[in-house]
Amino acid sequence: MLLRIDGLHKHFGANHVLKGIDLRIDEGQVVAIIGRSGSGKSTLLRSINGLETFDDGLIEVDGERLYAGQTDLRALRQKVGMVFQQFNLFPHLSAGQNVMLAPQVVKKTPVAECETIARAMLAKVGLAEKFDAYPDQLSGGQQQRVAIARALAMQPKVLLCDEITSALDPELVNEVLAVVKQLASEGMTLIMVTHEMRFAREVGDKLVFMYQGRVHESGHPKDLFASPQTPELQNFIGAIN
Amino acid sequence: MNEFSTWDILRNLGFGALWTIGLSLTAFVLGGSAGLLLLTARMSKKVWLQRAARAYIEFFQGTPLLMQLFMVFFGIALLGVDVPPWLAAALGLTLFSSAYLAEIWRGCVEAIPKGQWEASASLAMTWLEQMRHVILPQALRIAVAPTVGFSVQIVKGTAVTSIIGFAELTKTGSMLANATFQPFMVFGFVALGYFILCYPLSHFAAHLERKFHAPAH
Repeated sequence: MLLRIDGLHKHFGANHVLKGIDLRIDEGQVVAIIGRSGSGKSTLLRSINGLETFDDGLIEVDGERLYAGQTDLRALRQKVGMVFQQFNLFPHLSAGQNVMLAPQVVKKTPVAECETIARAMLAKVGLAEKFDAYPDQLSGGQQQRVAIARALAMQPKVLLCDEITSALDPELVNEVLAVVKQLASEGMTLIMVTHEMRFAREVGDKLVFMYQGRVHESGHPKDLFASPQTPELQNFIGAIN
Repeated sequence: MNEFSTWDILRNLGFGALWTIGLSLTAFVLGGSAGLLLLTARMSKKVWLQRAARAYIEFFQGTPLLMQLFMVFFGIALLGVDVPPWLAAALGLTLFSSAYLAEIWRGCVEAIPKGQWEASASLAMTWLEQMRHVILPQALRIAVAPTVGFSVQIVKGTAVTSIIGFAELTKTGSMLANATFQPFMVFGFVALGYFILCYPLSHFAAHLERKFHAPAH
């Protein structure tokens, strides 16, 4: 087991957004978290690398434990990469520099080696020739692929994807999903909050349906889509199709 | 001794203007350095540091520059240390500039989208690393124009130091006005002198603003 979440609770003021989440994820699994907006799925994802604090419970990633209120997140974050809906590339740095920065600054890897890593990662996402391009010279899909390369350069154990295709024009969605699919086939552990149901069904090993701050139903995507057990999931799938 | 030619007046004013320039540069460089420290304190996660920086900034923004100069000039004298006017002037203007620059720069740092903080945090960078490699390089671009703009305020602010007897442009002007009995002409030249110093700066700031308005590299 690579990732374990036990009894995770979170409040935003009076709003109880996570009401005791328990989750187990094995190495190499591709997990899709689905649910309506406000169901807590993004908050759950962002808790895993400490971008959201939580009030109670425990998260453990590859032996790195995260408790409520913990402030030293450096070790955990080196094991957990993240890709965002809005890409969040560093606009003052070229694609290559974006990818090189963290290995160089955080891991103190020599610059030459960082460049080798960056070139390899950009090649992996199909952007080898864009090493010197700046983010504003790239399409949304290309920016998102650079963002994936940037996260991969830290060699994370698990990659969190927070609605990574939601800000893209429809014709650019597939190039990003293709990269994700390739990562999945290479054995990368992926946890994605997504609205791409077809992708979740095809590529996912596990589907987690969040409803009102709880894991309402989870299992293999094919089973869940074929025979949802709860009326809420039936509704949700119905609403999507 | 009343025989001051226009040339004499201009020559003396020019000499005073040099002190104005020197004082402005000193205040800008030292105030900028202190402002950077202040900015770090102001944005620190330590609450007491944040509060101290904020109190400092609010004090210097909330009182007239003249009072600040008096406090430095007469306040330090109370401790038995004789402060020459140039030192009091430089110190006073440095304190004043640091407060304003820190606040201008804080605005620039806060203009950087939250996603930049989150992305760099998710890459396991510490706060200082985030600042150094991600936030400040971007904030700096936005900060250039207002910073140069504020330098105009510093140049004009140096005029106040004439009151504690620092012989910069304005003080030189009032001495010449007393000696020549031609205050209108003398102060006309003084005003022209400030204009010659400030106008290019204002234009430069406006130019930088246009240049940095569109994101580039």
